[in-house]
Amino acid sequence: MAGPFDGFGRLYRGQTTINFIGKRVVGFTVSLVIVLSGAISLLVQGLELGIDFRGGVAWEVPAGSLTDADARGVLQKNGVESANAKIQFLTGAGTQVMRVQVGDQPEDVRLAVQKSFAELAKTELQEVSVASVSSSWGRSITEKAIRALLVFFVIVSIYISWRLEWKMAITAIVAMFHDVLLSVGIYSIFGFEVTPATVVAFLTILGYSLYDTVVVFDRVQENAEKFSTSRQSFANVANVSTNEVLARSLNTTLSSALPVVALLFVGSFALGAKNLEEFAVALLVGMLAGTYSSIFVAVPLLDLLKQNEPKYRPFKDQVATGPKMAALMGVDSPPKRPQDAVTSVVDSTEIADSAGDSLAKRATATLTHPPRPRKKRR
Amino acid sequence: MNKRRQVVTLVLLVFVVGASLVANLAAGNTPALGLDLQGGASVTLQPAGEFDATGLDVAVEIIRARVDSIGVAEPEIILQGDTVVVNLPGVNDQQEALNIIGRTGELLLRPVLQSGIYNPDATTTTLPGTTTSSSPSTSLPATGDSVEDGAGIISGGPGASRVVSTATTITATTVPETTVPETTVPETSSTEPVVVTTENPLADLGLGDDPNDPTQTVLLFDKSGIAYVVGPAGASGKVFKNDAQPDVQTGQWAVVVGLRSGVDGDQLWNRLAAACFNKTPQCPTGQLAMVLDGTVISAPTVNEPEFTGGTVQISGSFTADEARELAKILEFGAVPVRFEVSQAQTVSATLGSDSLRAAIISGVIGILLVVLLLLAYYRTMALFVIAGMTVSIGFLWSVISLLSRTNGLALSLSGIAGIIVSIGIAVDSYIVFFERIKDEIRSGKTLKNSALRSFESAWRTIVAADTVSFLAAITLWYLTVGSVRGFAFFLGISALTDILITYFFTRNAVLLFARSKRAQGRKVLGIQTVKPEVM
Repeated sequence: MAGPFDGFGRLYRGQTTINFIGKRVVGFTVSLVIVLSGAISLLVQGLELGIDFRGGVAWEVPAGSLTDADARGVLQKNGVESANAKIQFLTGAGTQVMRVQVGDQPEDVRLAVQKSFAELAKTELQEVSVASVSSSWGRSITEKAIRALLVFFVIVSIYISWRLEWKMAITAIVAMFHDVLLSVGIYSIFGFEVTPATVVAFLTILGYSLYDTVVVFDRVQENAEKFSTSRQSFANVANVSTNEVLARSLNTTLSSALPVVALLFVGSFALGAKNLEEFAVALLVGMLAGTYSSIFVAVPLLDLLKQNEPKYRPFKDQVATGPKMAALMGVDSPPKRPQDAVTSVVDSTEIADSAGDSLAKRATATLTHPPRPRKKRR
Repeated sequence: MNKRRQVVTLVLLVFVVGASLVANLAAGNTPALGLDLQGGASVTLQPAGEFDATGLDVAVEIIRARVDSIGVAEPEIILQGDTVVVNLPGVNDQQEALNIIGRTGELLLRPVLQSGIYNPDATTTTLPGTTTSSSPSTSLPATGDSVEDGAGIISGGPGASRVVSTATTITATTVPETTVPETTVPETSSTEPVVVTTENPLADLGLGDDPNDPTQTVLLFDKSGIAYVVGPAGASGKVFKNDAQPDVQTGQWAVVVGLRSGVDGDQLWNRLAAACFNKTPQCPTGQLAMVLDGTVISAPTVNEPEFTGGTVQISGSFTADEARELAKILEFGAVPVRFEVSQAQTVSATLGSDSLRAAIISGVIGILLVVLLLLAYYRTMALFVIAGMTVSIGFLWSVISLLSRTNGLALSLSGIAGIIVSIGIAVDSYIVFFERIKDEIRSGKTLKNSALRSFESAWRTIVAADTVSFLAAITLWYLTVGSVRGFAFFLGISALTDILITYFFTRNAVLLFARSKRAQGRKVLGIQTVKPEVM
């Protein structure tokens, strides 16, 4: 089990002792760089909005051997300004689809162009898809989505404040903004087209990010109660909690991301569903960001907010690392099989010097009475 | 925790889910596919200008009736806030779709020239004139002059008596056609049988071919098939205020509606009413048809030449529902909703099935990968996840199939996205639970003790996290439109399923396993458990 996969083995047994709080500068810097570059890109080149937001018409034609010039020819023939037309070729397994987008057109023009495309591609009229959206519609759905989001933030803040605490609510929402900004930034940097499906993806990320943060914070709160009598810095509580949920976080991310990866590969590369591809990319990035931000953004940020609370202030700079953290977590380091824990002895001097007596007491207590049930919560 | 109760709950849950799945399969309920997965046309309409909620309802009903009349399979007509989304699967001609629903006419008031049963084969139009009545409460007078028979009355206002002598009372006689035992709207009969036997009986009337053209004389029908030849529209529903109310007048349901004042309101109405009351050539039958979207809704006889009270009462042998329906239509007529097409989309069937195939294949592969991961990581315990997921999928399938059938819910691409995302959330519940058990076992507890304690703390976490998902779903569902809504629905339903399955399935199954003799002292979750010795 151990050996070359020692790190994995420790993770598997929940015995990692990573000082996440100590490395917060790294986490914050990485996040700041990514989010800032996304934000700059958003400001400079903005988002490539699909016709659902700008208004306009899009045709999708089975391409066959059609070219860009053919498409422009059709547009011109029907009196549609072709200079600003956006023509894309979407390739999939065996089929190629040409998507032509232009600004808003009257109904008869839409139909005429559709007919011309069908003739050109030698298919039936029905095989040419048409989508048209008025520009006011795009504005109204965007407004609706934003209003929904604001309401959601309020509701979720109230819920988290009630269920956990308000500082956690703030932090969770900051982490969520981080994740959404990151994925929106990627859309901007790579010039992906924003469609209603993308909005769905962003919302998913938002939900997922909060979900993940709540799971981590739930453990933080539980540990804060557990350690409430043992005079710890909040950093210790946060580190212990994060390490405890690390295996869960990674597993959940993997199992959530796998279907999305499947969607990405099967949907886009094998079957050529372009809309699925971009959707899956946004989701994947968002999910990874969601897990990352819970651990590297949300928890350290919560520590910043909480370390100066009267309860934690006296121990502010005491951060247990390595074996001391392991002792706090009530696990052995280096890893041993649980039965051995009964007989194993921890060098108590190592613990005593930084974290104080109570810590040593707690550690030995854990070790000498293995089946002792944990304190009942609440 | 009583062991027997756990077994019973478990068996009951599996049985209920299995039974509902079988029932749905047997009834042929399958999840309906959204447009983006099966191809078809979708049109989103938003009302332009002034409108009111009742009018919007009526407009949606008009659209629904039109769509039904052309026989589109499983159309989806949804009112989301004030936005109307019309999805027509299988309709690949956008033009056709726009023609069907593009305009929602007006309520027109058209004088009736003739009425009766239209027989297109024979060159005769027989107008019922017998004075028989199937309406038991009605004693029909022999003449068509302004008489009250209780079957259809327009009178001067709420509370106004039905006495003919009051200045503002006019009455419509109504005889339900004898071949139609149940009439939904008051109908009229002329007093004498009229048989038109000319070569082309209607030709001399100069019938137009567009039933919605207000300037032509056209042949229209009501819901029960009675034919009416109506003249050019004398006015529209806009003469009324949008305050139509069903009301009980002397023991009968009636509809009371106010008249707008001014040239376009009561003056126009009174001119029309006078023409009908006096049976001028313009309105020889004395009946005034209310026509909506080419269908005669009601054709009461006008019994007063002038309406000075500012209100009109239409009464007849209505049921409460019919009166309400008529009131709604009048309200729509007063403020007709004009729609603007905000979005029109056609998805070709090939593109739709490609997307569906992609979604299904990737869903299956995704689930397989997750199962492999869990088997590798949690070993035997992963079987609980597999079993639990199977029950969840069975449950979801049943719910979605049922809602597809009853509520016209359609599974769209964004809905599938919601489900794929929820796979992760569902699996997470198991992971949270199992990691807890590992914690407990590691600290030296028996599996039996760990399982129960772990569930309690994991349950707290799972409920908190699922609540956040569910709140997101609810907010999005209520406040957005279109594809986001589909996503929200499936996200919400998945979060609820997760809660249900975790509590009733996973909890019981794992606790029973943890208590069983076979599980003791074995390696569980890759960790050797302690054999319970002294408890």
